[in-house]
Amino acid sequence: MGENKPDVLQGTLDLMVLKTLESMGPLHGYGIARRIEQVSGNALRLNQGTIYPALLRLEQRGWIKAEWGTSESNRRAKFYSLSRPGRKQIEKETENWERVAATMARFLAPSN
Amino acid sequence: MELIRILASRLKALFGGRRLDAELDDEVRAHIAMAVEENVARGMSAEEARTAALRAFGGVTQVKEQYRTRRGVPLLEQAWRDVRFGVRQLRRAPGFTATAILTLALDIGAVTSVYSVVDTVLLKPIAFRDPGRLVVMREAEEETEAGTRVMPDNYRHFMRLMGDTKTLEGAAIFDANGASVSLGSDHPRIVGAVTASPSFFRVLGVQPILGRDFVDSDANEGAARVVLLSYEGWQSFFQGDPRVVGRTLMNGGQPATVIGVLPAGVRFPDISIAPSLVTQSSLGAREDVIFEALRPNKFDLSADNSNFNYRAIARLKPDVTLARAQGELEGLQNAYSQSAHLPIRLGARLTPLNADVTSGISGALWLMFAAVGGVLLIACVNLANLQLVRAVTAERETAVRAALGASKSQLVMARLAESLIVAIAGGVGGVAFAVAGIRIFVAIAPGNIPRLNEVRLSLPVLLFAMALSVAAAIVFGILPALRSIGVQPQRALQRNSSRTASARDGGGTRSLLVGAQVACTVVLLIVTSLVLRSFSHLLHQERGFDTSHLTLAQVDLFSPQYGDNSLKVEATKQAFVDRTLTALGQLPGVQQVAISSAMPMTGETWIDELSRPDHPIREAQKPMVNVRFVSEDYLKTMQIPLLAGRNFADSDRANPRVALISEGTARAGFNGENPVGRKLESIIPDGQQPVTVIGVVADTRINGLKNTALMVYVPYWAFAPWTPLILVRSTQASDALIPEMRKTIWNIDPTVAIPELKSMDEQVDESVATDRFQTVVLTSFGGAALLLALLGVYGVMAYSVSLRQQEFGIRIALGSGKAALIKLVLVQAATPVLLGAGVGLAAALLAVRWVQSLLFQTPVLDPVSIGGSLLVLLAAATLAATIPARRASSVDPMQTLRME
Repeated sequence: MGENKPDVLQGTLDLMVLKTLESMGPLHGYGIARRIEQVSGNALRLNQGTIYPALLRLEQRGWIKAEWGTSESNRRAKFYSLSRPGRKQIEKETENWERVAATMARFLAPSN
Repeated sequence: MELIRILASRLKALFGGRRLDAELDDEVRAHIAMAVEENVARGMSAEEARTAALRAFGGVTQVKEQYRTRRGVPLLEQAWRDVRFGVRQLRRAPGFTATAILTLALDIGAVTSVYSVVDTVLLKPIAFRDPGRLVVMREAEEETEAGTRVMPDNYRHFMRLMGDTKTLEGAAIFDANGASVSLGSDHPRIVGAVTASPSFFRVLGVQPILGRDFVDSDANEGAARVVLLSYEGWQSFFQGDPRVVGRTLMNGGQPATVIGVLPAGVRFPDISIAPSLVTQSSLGAREDVIFEALRPNKFDLSADNSNFNYRAIARLKPDVTLARAQGELEGLQNAYSQSAHLPIRLGARLTPLNADVTSGISGALWLMFAAVGGVLLIACVNLANLQLVRAVTAERETAVRAALGASKSQLVMARLAESLIVAIAGGVGGVAFAVAGIRIFVAIAPGNIPRLNEVRLSLPVLLFAMALSVAAAIVFGILPALRSIGVQPQRALQRNSSRTASARDGGGTRSLLVGAQVACTVVLLIVTSLVLRSFSHLLHQERGFDTSHLTLAQVDLFSPQYGDNSLKVEATKQAFVDRTLTALGQLPGVQQVAISSAMPMTGETWIDELSRPDHPIREAQKPMVNVRFVSEDYLKTMQIPLLAGRNFADSDRANPRVALISEGTARAGFNGENPVGRKLESIIPDGQQPVTVIGVVADTRINGLKNTALMVYVPYWAFAPWTPLILVRSTQASDALIPEMRKTIWNIDPTVAIPELKSMDEQVDESVATDRFQTVVLTSFGGAALLLALLGVYGVMAYSVSLRQQEFGIRIALGSGKAALIKLVLVQAATPVLLGAGVGLAAALLAVRWVQSLLFQTPVLDPVSIGGSLLVLLAAATLAATIPARRASSVDPMQTLRME
């Protein structure tokens, strides 16, 4: 494991999960975790297990739905998919995130 | 909205926990399996793939825990889990649980019930307005040979003081007596009667609930006779008739108009006429009371140097201290004695009302309170000890749980939950015991404890006792838990693997607690056995008369035909007595009939100074004797032996100026000379002429079992009492005789009252009610203390033996005999017990001086009581230690050695 990989930033995991589900459609926990790793180019240190409390949190808020299904390898697994409020939430969170990112960028830009 | 959904989902999870746990397990398993598959596909070996998958997942347990915390309502869930865990733990240690709960319940129950009584009787102010300002006022005669003598009040002095005082807001003078009351058509009943100046209720701050209070003109000469009724009197005579005002009742055969009814619970404050005079109060127990306005007679208005016959109650002005008022009255009295040239120097004495009312019984109640405090202390020590023992047992378990990842707060919570369960169960039991305790207390308490009917469960005290005991249970539950949490789990686990070491762990504290407990118990046991011995002495004392087969009837001649002091009335009274004696003598089975003038066992009454015309005795040295007017068969009926001279005879009727004296009187008044033939002065109320002593009779304990009384007996032909006591000795049982006696007496005169009709045994029994009560209560506390100490010793020894099982196994394996092992355990138990007993003995020697005044003919250093108590305690302790000792000796060495 790379020692200098940053931790997943607090609060960003939710958006990553939602975004993953938006682009990939219904997916099980392992799939979501792998996808996040791949998209980040393995640059993030993610304990795959931490995805589950996050999924529960999103489910409790009603942003995602869960149902049992069968995986590609014919394994019983719980599949998560976006709900309608979840899609709305992505817009909101994205906006939010972009604003934060832009602000951070302005701070970090070489002063002129 | 969102919040509600989260909450709903969480609550749902709370109840479906097990299913959701299984789902999560499935989900995680699937996750790992998929990861393994992918890893294998990338070319790893199966084992490598699995390790990598697990590593990528992170801590499975932590994730699950995090997930669960997220899912449910963690605090509630945790608490519920702790409670269930606690119950499970407690069920695994039934001995500990039962002992702890019982200890708590007994202790809360005992403290609360006793304190409720003490609170009502001693501490709670009487239900008058601002009772702290009420004082009892008495006069004093100063600078007599015997020092200051406190006396009842003189009417004139009282009225003068009222005119002059600036420290008193108000005062009332009164007299308390019995009155014979009827509605005219029925036989009269004797009720309490208070004759008071009209300001009485204004001073007390009581207003009638019906009708009006006295007004000053009610006391005027010639005013209409009016009465106020106590609430209970209103109920019993008029069945609570709301239109009672204006109705008439007969008081001593004279009509009087009811003008008002007092609120329920207002009773005549039972003030004794002089503080030193201990009489068996009969008025205090009476609830039916009539109140009359006091009309001073000529004697009241003129006498300055005598007629100290009244009681007085006063209310201090706000902000006036007792000492200031006392000083003022004292000065006024002193000045008056001088200016009026009185032969005596008057003073004044004020006592707070509350203290005055309870002065007679406060000793016994405080003793009981102290005893209960002792039991409370022992109980708390017991609890502490149990909890400590428990904590050491739990230490290994705590360590295991900590090693498995339980957080500190979880560990403390678990112990707290366990302590709370015990505390709550004990508290509930305690409330039940307290309620039952008060019932029992009121049922067995003697009648002379004032205000017993007001005793209620005191809620603040219950809460206090519960808080204290629960706090003790929790503190001693938590403290060791905190300590064991501080210990590294690794070390605790290692240490516990060698059991001998931990047996000594905390052993010092436990032994100290056992010692303290034993010490408290020794003190309580010694006091208890002293009181028991004293009571047994009291009951088995030679009484000087035979109480068996005797039945008593007290008759009150409060009717107009017996009403004044004229000779004609004297003849009427004597005729009544004559006819009664004859008629009762004819009842079947009756052997003897006699009369006396005072109820036995009611203390000193009709006391006179003994004066001899032939041999003047100095005033202060004159013996005080009880005068009794009796019939000639009195000695035979009571079976009192005649020691010298002769008994009364019919021939004395013509010249009844004769007297019998008791041995004690002869000793006190005649200094070894032969009293027969000597004369005594002013014994008969109306006669100036002396009486001649014709005989000496044996001493009796007729006024109370504690003392023999100095007696002078005079035949009733000289003076017939208004309240003759009729004594019947019969082969018939009292129960059968009583209705016959009542019928016979009312046949002779239906207008007399018969307030008392019972067997002499019953009367004797009632007279020792206070002592019996004290004995019963102390004995039960002593028993409780012994039981608790026994449990304490047993608990500690049993625990220590269980810890050292392996050691004992090894010892047996190495050839140690059973006897040697038993001895080993007993010696270990002996140290704290013996030390505790020693300390207790020393403490008891200090404490018993305090109970000395409650003991009858029992020295405080009574060797039987002290030795017996120590013996009982040591026997109990040995028994408590023997059971674990035997267990130690029967350890199977093979089994214990294999256990590690």
